[in-house]
Amino acid sequence: MRFLKPGETNRRNAKYSHQSVSVAIIQNLVVRYGNFTALSGLTCEIPEGCTGLLGPNGAGKTTLIKTILGFVKPTSGSATVLGFDIQTAGASIRQKVGLMPEQDCHIPGTTAVQFVAYAGELAGMPGDQAVRRAHEVLDYCGLGEARYRNVETYSTGMKQRIKLAQALVHGPKLLLLDEPTNGLDPAGRIEMLELVRSVSHGKGLSVLVSSHLLPDIERVCDRVIVVMQGQLRAQGTIRDLKKIEGRPVDVELRENSPRFVQAMMDKGAVVQPPKRSTYRIQMPGLPEEIAKIAMQAAKESGAQIRGYIVAERSLEDAFLEAISAK
Amino acid sequence: MASPIADLTYRNYDGPLEPPVNRWWAIAKMSMRLSTKKRGFWVWSTFSCFWYGILLIIFYVNDTLAAANPMGQQVSLLKGLVWKDQFLNAFSESQLFLFILALLTGAGSIANDNRAKALLVYLSKPCTKLDYVIGKWLGIFIPITLVTTVPAVVFYLYCLMSYRSYGFWSQDPWLFVQLMGMVLIPGTLYASITLAISSLFEQGRLAGAVFAGVYFISYFVTLLMELVHTQMTMGGNEVPPIVNNLFYASIDGLQIGMLKIILHTNGSPKFPIQLGQMSTRMQVPEPSTFLFIPLFLVICAGSVLLAWSQIRAVEVVR
Amino acid sequence: MVVASQVSRWYGQVIGVNDVTCEIGPGITALLGMNGAGKTTLIRLITGQLRPTTGVLTVFGLQPFANPEVYRRMGYCPEIDNFYEHYSGRDFVRYLARLDGMSAAKAASRTDEVIDMVGMTERAGRRIAGYSKGMRQRIKLAQAMLHDPDLILLDEPLNGLDPVGRREFMDLLHGLAENGKGILVSSHILFEVEQMTRSLLLLHRGRLLATGDLGVIRSLIDKHPHQIRIDTDEPRRAAELLASVPNIVSMKFDRSGEALELEVREPAAFYDALSAAILERGLLVRGLSSPDNNLESVFKYLVEA
Repeated sequence: MRFLKPGETNRRNAKYSHQSVSVAIIQNLVVRYGNFTALSGLTCEIPEGCTGLLGPNGAGKTTLIKTILGFVKPTSGSATVLGFDIQTAGASIRQKVGLMPEQDCHIPGTTAVQFVAYAGELAGMPGDQAVRRAHEVLDYCGLGEARYRNVETYSTGMKQRIKLAQALVHGPKLLLLDEPTNGLDPAGRIEMLELVRSVSHGKGLSVLVSSHLLPDIERVCDRVIVVMQGQLRAQGTIRDLKKIEGRPVDVELRENSPRFVQAMMDKGAVVQPPKRSTYRIQMPGLPEEIAKIAMQAAKESGAQIRGYIVAERSLEDAFLEAISAK
Repeated sequence: MASPIADLTYRNYDGPLEPPVNRWWAIAKMSMRLSTKKRGFWVWSTFSCFWYGILLIIFYVNDTLAAANPMGQQVSLLKGLVWKDQFLNAFSESQLFLFILALLTGAGSIANDNRAKALLVYLSKPCTKLDYVIGKWLGIFIPITLVTTVPAVVFYLYCLMSYRSYGFWSQDPWLFVQLMGMVLIPGTLYASITLAISSLFEQGRLAGAVFAGVYFISYFVTLLMELVHTQMTMGGNEVPPIVNNLFYASIDGLQIGMLKIILHTNGSPKFPIQLGQMSTRMQVPEPSTFLFIPLFLVICAGSVLLAWSQIRAVEVVR
Repeated sequence: MVVASQVSRWYGQVIGVNDVTCEIGPGITALLGMNGAGKTTLIRLITGQLRPTTGVLTVFGLQPFANPEVYRRMGYCPEIDNFYEHYSGRDFVRYLARLDGMSAAKAASRTDEVIDMVGMTERAGRRIAGYSKGMRQRIKLAQAMLHDPDLILLDEPLNGLDPVGRREFMDLLHGLAENGKGILVSSHILFEVEQMTRSLLLLHRGRLLATGDLGVIRSLIDKHPHQIRIDTDEPRRAAELLASVPNIVSMKFDRSGEALELEVREPAAFYDALSAAILERGLLVRGLSSPDNNLESVFKYLVEA
């Protein structure tokens, strides 16, 4: 993975993604609303699998989703989604794509079953199939008896589920999720993420998740695309993004121990000042070897090691670095 | 051979999908399903044909009495009846109920969708704005038209079978065709107007209140003009055309005017009793075809265009 | 700063908070709980919008209900965002500053100060109607800080902020906390809370379920043994070497065959045994981690218990 300078096109990345099939190929896309340029020459590919779409407010994420669905017409550039051109085949794209919008939305006056079945019919399913499939999808989304109730009486968590259900009902090949965990409490958030993860792996369904909550992205996605000021800033697998040069390790002690630091430094390690009781240590060698050295140092200094991992930065740090790279 | 234990985790739908064009029928179907679910819809629909029922009773009693009387055929009330005017009168009696039906089916159609942000659902599926407008329009037009059509056709067939001897057929051989034109008028007008009003609001109730306001205020104009017309006619004065035209300047009046044009009649008194010359003159005469047909079309088309312009695909990002 | 003793509040039959006794001091305290756990009720009680049905709640030693003395020292940033949409952000804040009793000149200068603190100086002139969610949150925080309160209550303040805004916002809160202010933050997003503070107040179904430091709380939950994961190329050998350690409740091989997952009740002895296995028996270990040593697991354990 590498960072891209604004305006630079990414040939290398385009070549790289030939290995896996792309569900969407976007080339030099420009979208303007009046004087405001929302996307200025965005070029990227959305690979199969689960992809996170990251970017600060106003970076063009929502515009990208709207453009993929054909809601807004690009000023220039081209894009194909699932092999269809967004300029000409908007309806075909929308039949193969499911959108879970950020805002609460439903069809007034319907129960969940009616709503989801109706969404299926709108997508072109025959009426009888739509009802059957609606029940099936509501099962996946964990909506029990409440499905016979009017949607307007639903809690936030249920509204999120039903939004996901209506996006899935017609069996899309690409699912677009805009802030899927908005307003959910911790339990609801975990359930929603599990749900997204389970539908997006090994079921022939690709997912694009846009969210501000990076740990959520980390939980469900394999890759991310970072967009800023209407352009691609970075893309790659989350694992690559989180890697730190030089492979330092994080050692967590039960409590801070200057003697341990001294012991490690004697063994030739570079130790950074601790965060709570976690030290970041850099020294040559395989992680297994360093582990042994650290254990030895801990034994000598009377400290107890409670955690030991090859350090990675948080996705948040990686993200902040990507968007501040000039 | 499949495993004896089925995998009930998520699977993709790979059943049939219709091509992603003309999704408006699904939208119209859903709108109708939602409005016919309301009990009020059936109640008011039934009430709306009450005048046909009253006419049938009057005719039946009259006909039976006439049969018992050797001179009956000559003095019967049915003789000399203007048949097409009976349809006009029955319609005019049903107008209040049709208005209520329009309120039930139409007022919330787009307004509630605005509140629930339903457009996001529609447009993220292979529906276009055109599908949406057509679907919503038909969703109001079809129920109202059915409510006007069914009793009219039943009444027509009954009269055709029973009252040919009173000139039902000979008076107007083309009556059925005219009727088919006539039943389309209220549905068209209400679908267009309620759609426009509905699209301006985010709450069905508010849209309903505004629609009712427009209806009753304009109806007041019609009532006033009718009063003026009656007074002037009784006084033996010539009624100025402005009064005659303003009589049709309401939601109800416009429909009556269109019906009079289609049936080509000035109308006759509500109760099918002959009251002589005076009562015929009391009717506000048929309006000008060249003024009112374009006016009607402009109002309908304008309303639909207003709705069209109000429906925003997606709000533009900040 | 806030002392609640046996505070309950119910609305008709619905109970908001039930017999809550707690103290909130300076620094950042997180108020956690599921939807409907009583977070908002507690905040309303502290801000004096509600009076406790039973029990006594004091803020700075005074009862907050309808008590302007308390309000002078308290800032509140509610979850709902209702503004005068046609005002600009600056006008809105200045208007509230005037309501606080500041003179026109003082209000203007103080408004500029707080707007600068939340990083809205360039955008404060625009109408609120056109603001994004993050900008609205900043304006809400700005108005809460106008009168330099000692205690600030924030209901879901990070909702809708992007990661950049989140980080700035947290830095701002940390800065305030370091100046000795008391900050109570209610939030659903646990990893955010974890970045902000270790001090918790967990409500569950109206009752106070846990209060205090996260680490202390975790170590006190005995019902759930600590999970420990050892990443190694030889998980079976690791299991063999460690099986005799007392207090190990279960051992499980990871599906990938590259890790051993354990549940341990008294971890101290286990860590010593592991150290010995590595140093004396040459066990090769690539990683050692406790997947449940985070707020999310603690929350889950507590709420599901």
